[in-house]
Amino acid sequence: MPPKIPHTTRRLFLGSSASAAVLAGLPIRAQTPAEPDISLEDYTPEFLDAAEWAFILAATARIIPSEGEGPGALETRVPVFIDRQLAGDFGAAVDLYMEGPFVADADPFLGTQSPLTPAEVYRQAIPAFDAWCERTQGAGFGALAPEVQDAALQALADGETDLAPELRDFWALLLQNTKEGYFADPMYGGNAGMQSWIYIGFPGARANFLEWVGRDEVYPMGPVNIAGERA
Amino acid sequence: MRTFLKIVGGLVVLGIVVLLAIIFVPVQRTPAQTALAADWQPQEGHGEYAMRLSDCMACHTEEGGEPFAGNRAIESPLGTIYSTNITPDDETGIGGWSLADFRAALYDGVRPDGTHLYPAMPYENFRHIGEEDLRAMYDYFMTEVPPVRQEVEETSLTFPFNQRWGLRLWKWVALDDAGFTPDTDDPVLARGQYLVEGPGHCAACHSPRNMVMAQAGTGAGDDAFLMGGEVAGWTAPPLRGPQSAIRGWTEADVAMILGTGRNAHAALNGEMQLVARDSTQYFTEDDLQAVARFLIGLNEPLDPAAETRDDRVTETEQLLASATPDMDLGARLYLDNCNACHFVDGRGADEVFPELAGNSLVTAESPRGLLTMILGGSQLPSTALRPYRLRMPGFAHRLDDDEVAALASFLRSAWGNAAAEVDAGTVADVRDAQL
Repeated sequence: MPPKIPHTTRRLFLGSSASAAVLAGLPIRAQTPAEPDISLEDYTPEFLDAAEWAFILAATARIIPSEGEGPGALETRVPVFIDRQLAGDFGAAVDLYMEGPFVADADPFLGTQSPLTPAEVYRQAIPAFDAWCERTQGAGFGALAPEVQDAALQALADGETDLAPELRDFWALLLQNTKEGYFADPMYGGNAGMQSWIYIGFPGARANFLEWVGRDEVYPMGPVNIAGERA
Repeated sequence: MRTFLKIVGGLVVLGIVVLLAIIFVPVQRTPAQTALAADWQPQEGHGEYAMRLSDCMACHTEEGGEPFAGNRAIESPLGTIYSTNITPDDETGIGGWSLADFRAALYDGVRPDGTHLYPAMPYENFRHIGEEDLRAMYDYFMTEVPPVRQEVEETSLTFPFNQRWGLRLWKWVALDDAGFTPDTDDPVLARGQYLVEGPGHCAACHSPRNMVMAQAGTGAGDDAFLMGGEVAGWTAPPLRGPQSAIRGWTEADVAMILGTGRNAHAALNGEMQLVARDSTQYFTEDDLQAVARFLIGLNEPLDPAAETRDDRVTETEQLLASATPDMDLGARLYLDNCNACHFVDGRGADEVFPELAGNSLVTAESPRGLLTMILGGSQLPSTALRPYRLRMPGFAHRLDDDEVAALASFLRSAWGNAAAEVDAGTVADVRDAQL
């Protein structure tokens, strides 16, 4: 079953990295491109199921919207980053200490207390949050109007959506992973075409700017990523 | 007519006799060049040190194998030659060899049974090793090296190079007189000359080969001596002359790179890394200084006007520092891939990142060494004084053939470098050879 696409963001699905870059008149790297990115509509998630994928598309589109300044989460393929991370070591909590005791409702200042891996948090929290939306707003998150979606996410951030204690880090994870997908090297699936780097003027993995230290000027050269692609 | 036939017949018979003589008459072995007392004994450690000076280990030890048990594949223009087992094992090594047998192998390139050794064994140079060092080495191999029973791959070159008797003719042409007489009264220079020409066998790689593939210069008196050669696809740079890799270096620079694999200008690459790993890092300070002084002495002192080049900001430096988006691909690739360590002035950092300006690997006539370095990277050997194995990553996954060609061409023309451009086809060849 293809993912259900929320109508408010449908036009944004045009934006796989290359086409977005062309539309924006950005320089395209001159070297032989790797596999061209398939559109988000045609992308087959590695971890997320159809409903989860639809939720991530809708939620990240509100966290970093495409309207206004700079590219949004969808043109930069943040959902792909999140899906891949959840399918890999990050999702499986490979680098986290995952032995008990777990006191899920301990003081938040004591840090992560959930027995769940990040992938499990997403898997359990998405339907729980969607159910809260149904209950309080009359429809699942994806079907809500953008302003209502923003309000729902605000409630999620404020801990007012009745999530179980072991899911309380969901918003923090979602926000963090969205930012990471936006700014991380494109090799991880997000930041397509280095668009976020171009937007903020980050020159990428060039690693040496000795001649530019202390100069109050814009560094003129576009970014390079870890794979050596140029934009 | 009959007379003519007689003459022809006579010549044929003579030819056959000569051929049989070449093949079957035993080779005259070169005797000891210095008479030592029969009870002469090397000092403790002398034999091992002489082995280090001669770097027996690099060729006679397989990667990961027992020391001196041989079987290392040595690529030569004629084919692959497998080094022999020189541990004192009676059956597979040199356990049954007499001192005279050992000397004949080093001086004349013959085994006890008269078989000629391929000149991958540098007897062109080893025939200048002194009797003390030779006897100490013999003593070391016989009494200190543990015997290892290991048969090695048989070297089988294609015809005519598999006809080892032909080497006897080759030696008549190629070998000069055994023994060593220094060109100088200065004891330090004389020691340096001995180490370079004899045990160090520098000329085996750093001298060009002549028409019969013999070293075109084995001693300081020869014009071609250390004027650069080729080894396993890499250029062994000239150590003297206008393209000298050590031009402008001090004695301390030369001693440093031999002792540690790195100095303020450069880092050893290719086969020379093995030389530092197995040989030169074990040289005494005095011997390193002697080698350095001798090698520097082969080079013309730098023109003082040329030295000011170092302080000038080059056009390349200005271009790279400008970071203008429309610069040529090669320069852009330098900023994206190399600049982090080698910097816009191409001067790197002392003992860590080699200089690319004036770098002999970068400007070598054949770009293969440079391309191998860009594609595959390199890792310095650990040496006692500089143990850290500094590594440059390879860029094969990051740059395609056109990009590597553009980058290499840029490097070869930047900061005053003046070497020919590189095309993508050459890059593809080197990439294939690396896989």
